[in-house]
Amino acid sequence: MLLPEFELHEPVSIEDALKLKKKHGKDARLMAGGTDVLVLLKKKVIFTDTIISLLQIKELSQIKESGNEVVIGACATMAQLSKSSVIKEKFGALKSSCDNLGSHLIRNRATIGGNCCNASPAGDTMPSLMIYDAKVMIESTDGKREVSIKNFFKGPGVTDLAIHEILTGFKLPIPPKNSGAHYIQLGKRRSSEINVVNVGSFLEYDPDTKTIINSRIALGSVAATPIRAQKAEELIKGKPAKEDTFYTAGETARKEDCKPIDDFRGSAAYRQAMIGVLTKRTLQASFEQAQ
Amino acid sequence: MKEFNTIRTRANRLDSPDKATGEAIYVDDISKPGMLFGALLQSPHAHAKVLSIDTTEAKKLPGVKAVLTSKDVGTIPYGVSPARYDETVFVTDKVRYVGDEIAAVAATSLDIALKAVELIRVEYEILPAVFTVEDAIKEDAPQIHEKYKGNLTAEVHQEFGDVEKGLKESDIIKTTTVKNKRQDGAFLEMQGCIAEFDRRGNLTLTSGTQTPHYVQRTVAMVLGMDIGKVRVKKPYLGAGFGIKAAANPMELACCFLAKETNKPVKMNYTREQVFMFCRARHQFTHTITTGAKKDGTLVALKHECTLDGGAYSSFGIATVYYAGSLLAGPYKLPNMSYEGFRVYNNKPACGAQRGHGAVIARAAFEQQLDMIAEELGIDPMELRIKNMMSRGDTTCNDLNMSSFGMSECIDAVREGSDWDRKKGNMPIGKGIGMACGFFVSGAGFPIYRSDTYHGTVMIKLTEDGGTALVYTASAEIGQGSDTAFAMIAAEALGVPLSAIRLASGDTDMGVDLGAYSSRQTLMTGHATKDAAEHVKSQVLAVLAEKLDTPVEDMDIKNGFIEFKNQTLDFSELRTTYIKEHRGWIDNPDSEKLTFNEASRIAYLEKGTIVGTGKYKPVFLGGKYKGAAVGTSPAYGCSAQVAEVTVDMGTGQVIIDNVTDAHDCGKAINMTSVEGQMEGSVSMGMGEAMHEEVIFDDKGNVLNNDLAEYKLVTAMDMPKVKSIVVESDEPNGPFGAKEVGEGAIMPTIPAILNAVYDAAGVRIYELPLTPERVYTAIQEYKERKGAA
Repeated sequence: MLLPEFELHEPVSIEDALKLKKKHGKDARLMAGGTDVLVLLKKKVIFTDTIISLLQIKELSQIKESGNEVVIGACATMAQLSKSSVIKEKFGALKSSCDNLGSHLIRNRATIGGNCCNASPAGDTMPSLMIYDAKVMIESTDGKREVSIKNFFKGPGVTDLAIHEILTGFKLPIPPKNSGAHYIQLGKRRSSEINVVNVGSFLEYDPDTKTIINSRIALGSVAATPIRAQKAEELIKGKPAKEDTFYTAGETARKEDCKPIDDFRGSAAYRQAMIGVLTKRTLQASFEQAQ
Repeated sequence: MKEFNTIRTRANRLDSPDKATGEAIYVDDISKPGMLFGALLQSPHAHAKVLSIDTTEAKKLPGVKAVLTSKDVGTIPYGVSPARYDETVFVTDKVRYVGDEIAAVAATSLDIALKAVELIRVEYEILPAVFTVEDAIKEDAPQIHEKYKGNLTAEVHQEFGDVEKGLKESDIIKTTTVKNKRQDGAFLEMQGCIAEFDRRGNLTLTSGTQTPHYVQRTVAMVLGMDIGKVRVKKPYLGAGFGIKAAANPMELACCFLAKETNKPVKMNYTREQVFMFCRARHQFTHTITTGAKKDGTLVALKHECTLDGGAYSSFGIATVYYAGSLLAGPYKLPNMSYEGFRVYNNKPACGAQRGHGAVIARAAFEQQLDMIAEELGIDPMELRIKNMMSRGDTTCNDLNMSSFGMSECIDAVREGSDWDRKKGNMPIGKGIGMACGFFVSGAGFPIYRSDTYHGTVMIKLTEDGGTALVYTASAEIGQGSDTAFAMIAAEALGVPLSAIRLASGDTDMGVDLGAYSSRQTLMTGHATKDAAEHVKSQVLAVLAEKLDTPVEDMDIKNGFIEFKNQTLDFSELRTTYIKEHRGWIDNPDSEKLTFNEASRIAYLEKGTIVGTGKYKPVFLGGKYKGAAVGTSPAYGCSAQVAEVTVDMGTGQVIIDNVTDAHDCGKAINMTSVEGQMEGSVSMGMGEAMHEEVIFDDKGNVLNNDLAEYKLVTAMDMPKVKSIVVESDEPNGPFGAKEVGEGAIMPTIPAILNAVYDAAGVRIYELPLTPERVYTAIQEYKERKGAA
């Protein structure tokens, strides 16, 4: 199986990239690291004659801290994010996502924007972006817009992006004091794995009352897109931050928030059971971090 | 104890510099002037009649030089064992699996060849297909081969001793059914080949094969050529594990395309085609009943097994026999019966893979031994030691353990893993388990029964004196056999390893059955030693004559001639040698006569000095049907301890440590032996933990890449403590025997037993995915709750 021929464009500015995308419309495919696009092309899952690479646009691979938020360029790679000091210090769950994706070689190429645009329900970075309440930055020749990551994914391989739009980056608010976040991915082996289930949790608590002020729980590989476990989140708001609560959250997430399917990587029943276990474990770990 | 100079060391491998620098040449690195590229048309259906094949449009495509179907190349049947030649290069009447070969194209580029393949029009009539053993053996099941009724490739019915009586006399009886999943060899280098005819009609096939000899024979037979006009060469190879141990249809198609076009033709499998072709480990279902006395003495074993074989026989007949015969050891077992069935279906054919036929039977049996030990309150190590065979013992089915360091292996892992301190003292979720295993060092006959030598080796001394050129048709496939034979040649000839140059993997160099069945170290090793001794005797004979000293009073060691009479005057010979090198400034001035001098003198006297060596086993015993599959000149044996952590919440299993001891007879190269041991652990772990080929309901492989077919990664690999146990094998060269396959035998059951120790659950189906382990833990909890 050979990679089919295509025309490769490598614009150096976002403006040029947007113009190219407008010109070619749905016939052109955007590409960052290529770890999904090239594989899908080779396997004849997708077809295109034109690829617009975003890798030469310098500003897209920057990670910048400004005020109370961090802006991550769409082309920041997994390896780059894993090493970034601000990600390490303030966004530990996202760092684990990046540490766990694929293998060393893939992490040197794969980008956070690409991971989201590929929109696999099992994508590694997506639950972490969801629990940090990221905003997706989108541009077109008509202007800029932002959309909450919660509303960005529409189905397997489908996102909120219109044909002429480009995802340029993510804004992540700096997590408040007394908060923590944790990400766990579960697969059959320890590296180069496609998740059977992946879960991220964020938790903010009040040290005086020891109650949960706020939480965000994101579940991967159990629906057509990564999803928030809204019922579980609502249930534990204001409840004491302790093991029982985390267990209840897991049970609610398992029973009410997810509807996984059977596939050759795992059964629906197992996935559902693991949502319970991992939700509890990620909340527990988030709480320990928050203290 | 014998003293050795070269073997039993950690000599650097001959191929390391080429491989470390990336200069090693593999098939795909080779290009020939005017070379064409071939591609195969393979069936998209699992079972269908082929009504018509139209190649008109494909032939019209510019750049296409040949399009061949069975109409062009004939329908000579071939396969692995002559008793089941059930394949043809291209299908004639129907396709039997997704991937069955229909046609081949040669073109000036691979792109054009692939395009032409798409232009071939085939009309199919879809036939009902079967994908499981259960469906294939039903009375009204679609028949895959006219000739083999009931979709049975082969069946085995054996009984040694009296099993029913043995079971009646037993105090404890255990019956379990264990199954694995179909494996893929997942070697790094996909199969590839280049075929080329010269103007005199001689064919050279350069191929990534483990067995140049069998490929040569099959190619000659199918192309209707003299074997002497077919040369098969194997360049560096990125492993095989058994899958590359027979001719494949691509090699044959490639030869036909080269013949048709009179141009060199190159073909390669893609990774997807490797999965489609398969020929790797079968899916086995073993039902085993073991009976033992209260004191742990094993009495009887009743064994039934079915093999999910796929569309063709491949190695299947041997596999179904091995699956039974290799349970007769390493424990004393007076009564054993075996019923084996290898069943056809519409999936790719399975064949031989590391630990041929015996790995899952071993996993089932060793797990049962632990169950018996637990119920009788005996330590699993003690139970095994109690029943262990020792040197000189013969199994109920005639396998003779001419050397057997099994007890030493058990002692080594017991101490090496700190078993006595850990066993029974680990917290929930942590466990330790052990198992044993053994394997053949080659078989008594080639796969086509014949009286041929299994290996011939030729050693020629360079005429200047001093360098020995070793020629062997054996196959270095990454396991280190070239280095082993160079070391054996150096040891036997009495020269340093640096004085040896070795070439291998070419059928022009002699006969060698190749790298399978863990045969080369023992068999090719013998032939190498024999050839080196032949050379040595010729050199010494000349010296004896020149110096008027009996041959018995001299020897060659470390590149020098050792005389019993240390004051012997050899100055005349040295003068002759120096005169041969007029003008050279580095003439020998050592106290001892050098091998260089001696071999030059021998050349001056006799002409080129050539030694030949050969090996074939003597009759190995066993008069019953199937005795040839299991009997071997020698058996390597292993014990392993695995330590695991089981996540009781998710079912994830992590292998923390493996302690591994193997008796390989005398280790030719210590580092290579350890390499085989660690490689075996890795492959066994993969099969135990996550490897399985998964199909959809139409017979397509769903996970046909190395992202979704889950090999063990460096991150999963535990620390492996490899302990080499050396016995002295009387039937091996310098006492050596196998390590390549025996070392995988205990891995899976050691892990299964460790998981039981950690989590309290016995698991009877592989692989141990988190889901399977989790489900078992849940069921266990429910049972316990109910109780």
